[in-house]
Amino acid sequence: MNGRTLALAALLAFAALAIAFPLLTDDRYLLRIGSMIFIYWTLIAGLNLLVGYTGLLSIGHVGLLAIGGYCFTILAGRYGVDPFLALAAGGGLSALCGLLLGLPSFRLPGFYFALATIAFGLIVAELALAFSDVTGGTVGLAVPRFPDPVRSIAGQYWFVLAVSAAVTWLTWNLSRMMWGRSLIAIRDSDVAARSVAVPVFRAKLLVFVFSGAAAGVAGGLFARAQSHITPEAFNFDLSLYFFVAIIIGGRGSIVGPFIGTVLLALLPDLFGSLQRYTAFFYGAALLAVVLTMPEGVGALIRGAVDRFRPAPLGHGVLRPDPAALTEAIKGGSR
Amino acid sequence: MAIVLLTGVALGSLYAMIALVYNVMYSTSKVLSLGTGQFAMVGGIVGAWFILHWNLPLWVAVPGVVLVGMAFGCLTEFVAIRRTLGGGDEHLWVLSTLALATIVQQAMALWWGTEPQPFPRLVVQDYAGLLDQKYWIPIVLAFIMALAIEWFYRRTLYGKIFVALSDDTFAVRARGISATRMRLASYALAGGLGALAGFGAGQLTYAYFALGLSLTLNGFIALAIGGIGSNVGALAGGLILGLATAFTAYFFGSEFQQTIAIGTLILLLVVRPAGLFGAQKVRQL
Repeated sequence: MNGRTLALAALLAFAALAIAFPLLTDDRYLLRIGSMIFIYWTLIAGLNLLVGYTGLLSIGHVGLLAIGGYCFTILAGRYGVDPFLALAAGGGLSALCGLLLGLPSFRLPGFYFALATIAFGLIVAELALAFSDVTGGTVGLAVPRFPDPVRSIAGQYWFVLAVSAAVTWLTWNLSRMMWGRSLIAIRDSDVAARSVAVPVFRAKLLVFVFSGAAAGVAGGLFARAQSHITPEAFNFDLSLYFFVAIIIGGRGSIVGPFIGTVLLALLPDLFGSLQRYTAFFYGAALLAVVLTMPEGVGALIRGAVDRFRPAPLGHGVLRPDPAALTEAIKGGSR
Repeated sequence: MAIVLLTGVALGSLYAMIALVYNVMYSTSKVLSLGTGQFAMVGGIVGAWFILHWNLPLWVAVPGVVLVGMAFGCLTEFVAIRRTLGGGDEHLWVLSTLALATIVQQAMALWWGTEPQPFPRLVVQDYAGLLDQKYWIPIVLAFIMALAIEWFYRRTLYGKIFVALSDDTFAVRARGISATRMRLASYALAGGLGALAGFGAGQLTYAYFALGLSLTLNGFIALAIGGIGSNVGALAGGLILGLATAFTAYFFGSEFQQTIAIGTLILLLVVRPAGLFGAQKVRQL
């Protein structure tokens, strides 16, 4: 059994477990946590292409989540648009905003861009409060339900799972193919990537649009899972959570950030009464990872996998064999 | 109208002080710390705690605040900067300073509470309208701070070493000066100044744990408007930003403050990437 089949088996086992989860338990609370993890993952999978692959530090994705969430709620709730259509519209609007968020990144170097995205998150929260006749202000809005097959809590879970699986599949394809390689090239050296004809402008914009769309769809699902949204629901801690999950998981990996997502999502629930410490833990976890293993948990896993993988051929050291050499030379002179 | 103008100038002075603190750290390490605003937050809260809770007189409280700030500055250098600098990855310090800023902010929230709390009056003065201490203290403090930093850079040995470090670290090392120790000193200085800024402007901002993030942002905007590395620019940028936000709040309502501030920044960076007073940098390939 080689590494590939092992990984495939692990993936299938995980998928079976994830799909069967609502059948195994009736606990609404557990199901809710499960759906929240996959909703967050939908956004993080898109953000991962941005932070993990392209190396653009966006700390303001909660703004895109809020835009998607409000778009879904307002369209489906106030104007009676079909919820699935509203979800797609939220994704589309967020994709557009992602594009706008991405444009300054061509002009601003790393740190400037990180601050600009933080500012973007704060601005969206500010505007959501300012236009209270649209967003309901601090009172908030009730979020409509999905129609029947997705109405129940288990149905909602399966729908969320399907969406996040689709997004994961897209990011996996994107990261594995030429696009992913060119994104990593941009991360490691913008100039070098340009010199080998990587379309930097197009690649960056594509990633922004994609992560914006994923964030928007996640926003709609997030709003539905909350069932009532206020600008408070989209706070800065959430943005920090998305970002830290990716860094903990490690850059340039998909499994790593997923593990980071699950770990950080479970953290507040594991500690139960320590909800107030959540953001503190995010900071502590980020600091620990940056200082001790900047490559993230994903690199540790990869190292462990490599250890069990048989060494590829052709890596042995060739030692000179004088006897055989003389033999060969003699043979030649004869 | 006069009160809007004055609020703008006072707020702008606070932003300018944060921008000066950015500059002090930037000179020795080329790092723009995401924890810069947290210095001021800690200064404000610790100052309020000293005076309101312990009833300390001003001449004890001010050095106390500065000392706490310096300790925080040293901690920043030690934890977030020393191990991430020169690791080849330029983004690593963004992450470590963000992490430390979050930890400190949350620790403060747990200890101090999440509501803004009143800040004591520092000088004995009746409430005097436009001449009230909550306006003139930050304004005067900002100008003193800028002058003191300029004097420090030009007239003292340490200041000259800081300037030299910002120019060429290797040349300074070759003269037998420990760049690491100088960096630690600059972070201690930055922490002290930042805490003092937060303390001086405490009556404007109140003692509030979430202040740090918005100050980090607004201080940086002031810095970017003026140009990184320029102290005159920091003052000018702070004033421009403070006036812009105050008048936005006056004309359009305070909901749009951040939006306008960021809009100003993005617009300016697109037109003049080096800021108003910054030196144009040539990118090396």
